[in-house]
Amino acid sequence: MKTDIIYLDYAASTPVDERVADRMLECRASAYANPSSNHLAGRRSRDTIETAAAQLGALLNADPRTLIWTSGATESDNLAIAGAARYRAPRGKHLITMPTEHKAVTDVFRMLEKQDFEVTWLEPDERGRLDPAVLEAALRRDTQLASIMFVNNETGVIQDIEALGNVCRANDVLFHVDAAQAVGKVPIDLSVLPVDLMSLTGHKFYGPKGIGALYIADRPACYVEPLFFGGGQQRRIRPGTLPSDLIAGLGLASEIAAGRLHDDLAHLATLRASFWNRIRDIDGLFVNGDPDSGFPGILNVSVSDIEGESLLLSLEPLCVATGSACNSQAQEPSYVLRALGRSDLEAQSSIRFSFGRHTTAEEVVFAAGRYAKSIERLRELAPGDAA
Amino acid sequence: MSEDPYSAQIRELFADLSHAGDLDDATCAELEEQGVRIRLAATHREGCLQALRFRAWGCPHVLVACEAVCREYEGRAAADLEQFRASEIMGILSIPVEKTGRILVIEDTVRLLGRSICGSSVPPVS
Repeated sequence: MKTDIIYLDYAASTPVDERVADRMLECRASAYANPSSNHLAGRRSRDTIETAAAQLGALLNADPRTLIWTSGATESDNLAIAGAARYRAPRGKHLITMPTEHKAVTDVFRMLEKQDFEVTWLEPDERGRLDPAVLEAALRRDTQLASIMFVNNETGVIQDIEALGNVCRANDVLFHVDAAQAVGKVPIDLSVLPVDLMSLTGHKFYGPKGIGALYIADRPACYVEPLFFGGGQQRRIRPGTLPSDLIAGLGLASEIAAGRLHDDLAHLATLRASFWNRIRDIDGLFVNGDPDSGFPGILNVSVSDIEGESLLLSLEPLCVATGSACNSQAQEPSYVLRALGRSDLEAQSSIRFSFGRHTTAEEVVFAAGRYAKSIERLRELAPGDAA
Repeated sequence: MSEDPYSAQIRELFADLSHAGDLDDATCAELEEQGVRIRLAATHREGCLQALRFRAWGCPHVLVACEAVCREYEGRAAADLEQFRASEIMGILSIPVEKTGRILVIEDTVRLLGRSICGSSVPPVS
């Protein structure tokens, strides 16, 4: 870890576990062959991939044959949503999602809207959660797919996936879950959860970037039309030569995560509580999301009278995410926070602190102190009754 | 490494906003536009600016530009304030063009302060 930064942006990406990096290097030397080839070297690559599928399957309690490798969660989301919508289009063209989903989801739905699909956008409650009764009320006879994320990437809000999935199952609606922020971080048992399609990516849980997966439940009428064509790999659902080294890395990251899931969660909960207890008394501070039951690795807070870009610069050397893109030309406040009812100003001043396996108690103490001092300084700078 | 959105001067000044604050018995000018709010205060004697201070709510470029204005004009003739142009400071500090609107609010505030001190009847610059 570099010492000139304090990295609190684990929701954006995580450092690759050293054992994962070693495994990938080893694979580049030993499993470089095309896994579709039937010679010895090809079979060796294929074995590497099968081992990784078993490791990821064990993390999710899913049959490895239900896992399709992709380039990451964005591709998985695209494949799941567009692929399922098109496959089920002869039955109906009504789809359901939320405006608080990741862009990799919302933009696919917007694309489908232009292709004569009808999308219902369900609003969250003030804490960002979706009431299963609201989902049920939105279902129609022609509804084919609902897509709701597991853990929100900006707020850490956890949806009741089991209850939402049960609503879908009872109504023969496919249920897709973007679990990019959840896999390897919270317990997921796909043998129990009523989920049909689930997206994940390696780099959110100490694996490599550029590799992800889509879970497709082995159920009747649960299928996706491919987005890519050429080659017959992965049952033609996602053709293309598989990157055995990246897949091996994701597999080992899954095995490591499975072995320490509860310890990681306890560590994150301790860090989050420590951070929160140090900043909670800041005047005008509020939590974006659910302060009581969200994912403990994420804490998103706003102060309404502070300018976001100045706050972000004041926080250096903390590496955190903000709810604005103020230093770009597109000065756009977070659409997720706007959907939760925040004003532009509140969304723009939001800071997402996300903690991880390597975050220390000392870093959290420093970060909380820097946050409090930065707010105090910027308030001192402002003219009276600013903003 | 990719380009830092802030120049070295911006970073240096942002870390040392020594002219932030108020002054007793000062002439003040204050404007709120373009999502920023700026207040400039100056003490002066016989047409010469003795001290300048600012308070501002805005992005780092706005805060730093206010600091730079205060540093630049202390000791100069108050009438010089009315000649201030935002483009000068944008060039010196490498402020990106998309921030022009906000920096123009500083220009208006600086000129307003100059008129307040000098008693000029020159109309505001748009």
